[in-house]
Amino acid sequence: MRAREPVAVWRVNEIGNVLDRTGRGHGVTSSSSVTFRLVLAVLLLAGVASAQTSSTAASASGKAIYDQRCVQCHGADGRGNGAAAPVLLPRPRDFAAAQFKLRTTETGSLPTDDDLIRTITYGIPGTSMPGWQKFLSTADIAAVANYIKTFSPRFAAERPQSIPAVAASVPGAPTTQTVAAGKAVYEKLRCAACHGTDGKGTGAIATDLKDDAGRPLPATNLTEPWTFRGGATPQDVYLRFRTGMNGTPMPSFVDAANETELRNLAAYVLSLARKPVWDMTADEVKAFYQAQAAEAVRDPVRHGRYIVTTIGCSFCHTPVREDGSLVDGMLFAGGQKWTAAPFGDFVSANLTSDKETGLGGWTDDQIKVVLTKGIRPDGTRMLPFPMPWPSYAGLTPSDLNALVAYLRTIPPISNRIPAPARPNIVSYLWGKFQLLILKKDMPLVAHPGNSGSAGGV
Amino acid sequence: MNTRRVVKWTLGVLLVLAAVGFLAFLYLIPPFTLMAPEAFSGPEIAAANAVKLDAITDPKTRALAERGKYIVVATGCVDCHAPPSAAGPDFARYMAGGAKTAFKGHGTFVSANLTADRQYGLGRRTDEDVLRVLRSGVSADGGRQLWYRDMPWAWVANWTEEDRVAVLTYLRQIPAIAQKIPPPTAEATVTYDPTGIEETSTVNAGTTP
Repeated sequence: MRAREPVAVWRVNEIGNVLDRTGRGHGVTSSSSVTFRLVLAVLLLAGVASAQTSSTAASASGKAIYDQRCVQCHGADGRGNGAAAPVLLPRPRDFAAAQFKLRTTETGSLPTDDDLIRTITYGIPGTSMPGWQKFLSTADIAAVANYIKTFSPRFAAERPQSIPAVAASVPGAPTTQTVAAGKAVYEKLRCAACHGTDGKGTGAIATDLKDDAGRPLPATNLTEPWTFRGGATPQDVYLRFRTGMNGTPMPSFVDAANETELRNLAAYVLSLARKPVWDMTADEVKAFYQAQAAEAVRDPVRHGRYIVTTIGCSFCHTPVREDGSLVDGMLFAGGQKWTAAPFGDFVSANLTSDKETGLGGWTDDQIKVVLTKGIRPDGTRMLPFPMPWPSYAGLTPSDLNALVAYLRTIPPISNRIPAPARPNIVSYLWGKFQLLILKKDMPLVAHPGNSGSAGGV
Repeated sequence: MNTRRVVKWTLGVLLVLAAVGFLAFLYLIPPFTLMAPEAFSGPEIAAANAVKLDAITDPKTRALAERGKYIVVATGCVDCHAPPSAAGPDFARYMAGGAKTAFKGHGTFVSANLTADRQYGLGRRTDEDVLRVLRSGVSADGGRQLWYRDMPWAWVANWTEEDRVAVLTYLRQIPAIAQKIPPPTAEATVTYDPTGIEETSTVNAGTTP
């Protein structure tokens, strides 16, 4: 047996600028700040060097890297509409819109090159944006950053409005005094309206926040700093207050509070942190899971959304195009056809709440029985594939409740799904003979397009 | 003369019966509609339970691994990460990988060996390597991004980081199975059905060295 690597050692990032060893964002050592500055300096120099060589060559290599590494999420045209984009939470950045969250520049302004390079290098915690420092050279990263800038004409027309003082000043660690002063700022700036009085949404008034594209964007849970997009050092958190997060409801507070107040607010926000599981004791982990289960019962829709968006229902219950991309706007409407030879053709069901063609007319129990036993409301049995219902038999009753509760909230899309198409008995028996006796490889095949009544893919 | 006729007829009837019996056997095997639903879900859950978590001495690791097991079962990781066969996933070689899928225009990929094997399984990967795949779909092999229709990383990317760590903790407990997985190829040989865009083989593509 291999020696187990203790999970507690694991950190969000390997280079130590986003989170410290405890993962709570406190007590970042001066040595890691120095390292960070050195890395930045090297990146700056690399940026200058690459600018001095042929800029067209750099952008050509930037495009080549982008087309290989970035398109699956951000799309070939940079619009944040890659093949996998429809299911990612949060959505990948739309570079054509040129609204960047993580900047050291004034609100509404473009990011600096260093801002883009920093994000590509270290990634974005709490999202699927990885840090590329392990796989790309600093020159490659700079080239990709340059290429990203070609998606919007703003970069050619405008200069980023840097905040020079911001880059230079590095705050000390939070103290009892700064935390207490920051609490007053939290109240003054009415942070609780979105983030709740406790930082995790309790008593929040604005609960249906949306990004500039009109997509739901829940307020950040301030008790989980390891998910802070821009990192969790006091400086990182302060920068979000100072610069705002373009494209999101998070504004800049530069006109509403002074420098000291914003620094204190950062100290207070970081003081709200709870322990992540990797820092907990065994008893704390167990209590945490119990509380989580209780929360699932209290707010089943929210918990059900988590299950549905992670378990992968939309993998099959959404039409896919010829190129393998999911059809945005048809999530959960079904219509993806699978051929499971020799058993027949199966089209994924419409899971939306549509009464006629979706689950709107089903009872909770009917949904649960299909999910856990593969028995349809009319009493017919499902094969254990392509719908992997045997895996869902292990769901706890409260998770099943939550899952169903969330499915109920999916807006209706009318898309009538045809019944399974069985082959004629001769081809069925011949297929079985090939599969079982001749041991022929009879692959499970997925088909492009929407096989439901809505068509149109 | 008479006995000969009887023998002939008996043989004939037996032959027809055998043929009909064989066809009926073909028709009903596997007896999907005759088996209890638990006969399908049971083996999958039993395979996950066969990973001995009681042996973990650190109670915290065990609590995380239990949560990870629950998520891994519900997510159906084993549907692709057990060696495939005509009779479904081979649960006896739990998470040894070997399911080959061709994606038109994207390449042909074989599911990874997730066991602790140090040469062919997750045993050769660091924690961060595994977490990066589950968070971003980026493989430790050169930072290649896995095709999301192959490894459905875009969904598991939505796990909280805490659940991802729990999943990792469970995966680390899976006993080693030395099954070698062929590397991905750029060519996608979708041959079975010309209208298909994805084809998952029913034959194990992994090899035992």
